[in-house]
Amino acid sequence: MQEAELFEKYRESGDIALRNEIVEKYLYIAAMIAGKFAGRGVEYDDLYQVASLALVKGVERFDPAKGVKFSTFITPTITGEIKNYFRDHSRVVHLPRQINELRTSIRKAAEELTVERGHNPTAREIAERLGVSEEDVLSCAEAGGVVSLDRNVSEEDGMTYHELIAAADDSLEDFENRDVVRSVLAGLSGAERKLLKYRYGEELSQTETAKRLGVSQMYVSRLERKVLEKLRKTLGKVMSE
Amino acid sequence: MKELLKLELPLLKSEFMTTVRLATGGVCSAAGLGLDDSEDCKVCVTESLLLVMHAGYRAAAIAFSAEEENLFISVKASHWEETEGGMSEDEISEALLNALARGVLIEREDGRAAGVKFYFSK
Repeated sequence: MQEAELFEKYRESGDIALRNEIVEKYLYIAAMIAGKFAGRGVEYDDLYQVASLALVKGVERFDPAKGVKFSTFITPTITGEIKNYFRDHSRVVHLPRQINELRTSIRKAAEELTVERGHNPTAREIAERLGVSEEDVLSCAEAGGVVSLDRNVSEEDGMTYHELIAAADDSLEDFENRDVVRSVLAGLSGAERKLLKYRYGEELSQTETAKRLGVSQMYVSRLERKVLEKLRKTLGKVMSE
Repeated sequence: MKELLKLELPLLKSEFMTTVRLATGGVCSAAGLGLDDSEDCKVCVTESLLLVMHAGYRAAAIAFSAEEENLFISVKASHWEETEGGMSEDEISEALLNALARGVLIEREDGRAAGVKFYFSK
């Protein structure tokens, strides 16, 4: 039976069995469109269900006399329902958790694959192992990038993430033995001590510190990492003695 | 009109779709599109490539450009080879493009899809 004939017959009879037959015939469209929206924080099965319900509603509403093919009519209907579903089930809360879980799985799979295959696994190998898309693996790697505390919260105002974090006023005073700190600081070069003074004494941002030292922000970032690592090692050594 | 990125890729297999989707996501982000629009844009770029691929084209060039609040995307196919014709899924791809993007224009050569243009607004 031709498409128009099938729909006309259903419109005349209102026969639910015929409606179900039409729905089954076009269920592949629901599956296809649901697949296009998969990976956005909502399970494929949920999307398929939403798309299938939209298909049922669409079959009931479709009028072949209007001269539009059913696939052309139903695609925006299903798409609209899926987008509404996304809106109602905001992934703002869920996505970070999923990314976090996936990142952990990726790390674990990468370690396992390295041992098993004797080489660094590719994104595709990891994706196959985890049953996710290669894109998910690559996006996840991007999503988990470290964000500098000196980065501005928004382009409009100059406030940094660092400034939003509540400061612990007594952080340094908590050290029982200030002499230890002093002796450790004595082992640093002049530039390194200045960096610590600006960054942790005057609480300047890396950019401001860079200006004071007449160097680039990147240089400050590298130097700070190096100094902190040096301090950590020396303090650890001193404290364990 | 400010050109943001141009990509040229072979369409023999769909192995570069992931690369294209990731690049599209990056461009959308740089252009200031929201997360949902970025995801929709990725779907549209992929569907455009599938359309021209099914029409028998073996390569495509994607151009992203921005003007005011809009991100324009143009997919232009090349290297056509005789095929058995389009797929039934193509109608769905076209309907999907029209449902998600603005100003969708499908350019045809001898009746087959040879290019797709559309845009997204911030």
